[in-house]
Amino acid sequence: MDKTILIVDDMEINRAILAEGFTDTYNILEAENGEQALEIINKHSDIAAVLLDLLMPKMTGIEVLRELNRTGKINHIPVFIITAADNEDTLTEAYNLGAVDVISKPFIMNFIKSRITNIVELYSHRNELVEVVNEQIEKLNKVNQSMIETLATLIEFRDCESGEHVKRICGLTRILLTSISEDYPEYYIDKYEIEKIVNASILHDVGKIAIPDGILNKPGRLTKEEFEIMKQHTVKGSEMLMHIPAIMDEDTFSYTYDICRHHHERWDGRGYPDGLAGDDITIWAQIVALADVYDALTSPRCYKSAYPHDVALNMIYNGECGTFNPKVLETLRKNEENVKNEHELGLFS
Amino acid sequence: MIEKLKALGVNTDEGIKRFMGNTALYERMMAKLPANVRAQNVMKHFENGDMQAALESTHTLKGVTGNLSVTPLYNAYTEAVRLLREDKPEEARAVVESILPIEQEILNCIESSGS
Repeated sequence: MDKTILIVDDMEINRAILAEGFTDTYNILEAENGEQALEIINKHSDIAAVLLDLLMPKMTGIEVLRELNRTGKINHIPVFIITAADNEDTLTEAYNLGAVDVISKPFIMNFIKSRITNIVELYSHRNELVEVVNEQIEKLNKVNQSMIETLATLIEFRDCESGEHVKRICGLTRILLTSISEDYPEYYIDKYEIEKIVNASILHDVGKIAIPDGILNKPGRLTKEEFEIMKQHTVKGSEMLMHIPAIMDEDTFSYTYDICRHHHERWDGRGYPDGLAGDDITIWAQIVALADVYDALTSPRCYKSAYPHDVALNMIYNGECGTFNPKVLETLRKNEENVKNEHELGLFS
Repeated sequence: MIEKLKALGVNTDEGIKRFMGNTALYERMMAKLPANVRAQNVMKHFENGDMQAALESTHTLKGVTGNLSVTPLYNAYTEAVRLLREDKPEEARAVVESILPIEQEILNCIESSGS
């Protein structure tokens, strides 16, 4: 017997009948009030069904149901209400709280056994399916993630940037986005979304694949014409993504597209490719833009050596790399140490 | 004990069937009935005018006596619960009082069987 049924009733006589009815097919656990029931449910992960009396001392059945709702356990464990069925309002509330069925007193054991067995099988089948689907989703996510990382690695191999650039952008994006989200309610983003954005930032330069080697890896300054071509990596990148939306979930795709296209826009509208200004540029695109500039300044490139942290910060604050949102700059000021550490970690890792 | 209870109107066949034919378990649980009934203090709640407690205790006894198929008590407590829900405490009390002698007889029968 690998399945367990929890019987919750303050009257031993009622528990004894149900226990006797199920003892041939299930392990039986008993609780005489709601508090005990919750303790047992929290301790045992293998409970296949709960038979729950409503009127009990210490904690009523309704309160138990509320708690199972709060923890989400009601979705995995079928709860049957035991009642001397007469109060319609309470039963309605129990059903609304996710109870699957009602067992009326006096018990008619054959019916009860069939009903409970059917629902337990249904739930166990459903729980297995959910597990299988979750495993598949996890596998799929891993494959997608590795495809995204592969793409990013390809770009870096063509570019003469170090292979750590993307990792540092992720780290800086996480620091700055978390900080600005905490300090400015208008930019609040929950931590799950922040992780999606961090993931999305990996592909910000995917469009560079479409830029000719001679321009991408030119050791000297680009001519005006060459720079125009270089600027196209934002548009090309977003166009490329449109062809492969299936490699990521919908949210991540929309973040990736936006960041890819707009990580060279500037607060004053003088960036590219769309000349967006102010908060028409999403906050994540603004943050990745700043992270990208900082990392470009502090890393050696084929056309320049690395600037020290302090110098890079001053260049950014002085507007030498374009205009940024004052709140974004304030966030950078607040996180200078973290940013420096993240950068050094990336450089030497 | 079974035969005596049957004579007092207890539907022992139905009760034993509910315990999956386990007569010994049925008798063991029946032996717990007197203590359970007394613990509910139904009459005391009526005397104190605490109708919520009266409702809870008659409701509990309805469930237990129903499950043991102690039919006369089950019928009385079912009626009492209904009357209390309809806000007729005096009538409910009358119903409970009217069953007390039979209840006492049944509880005595169980306790004298000494199981």
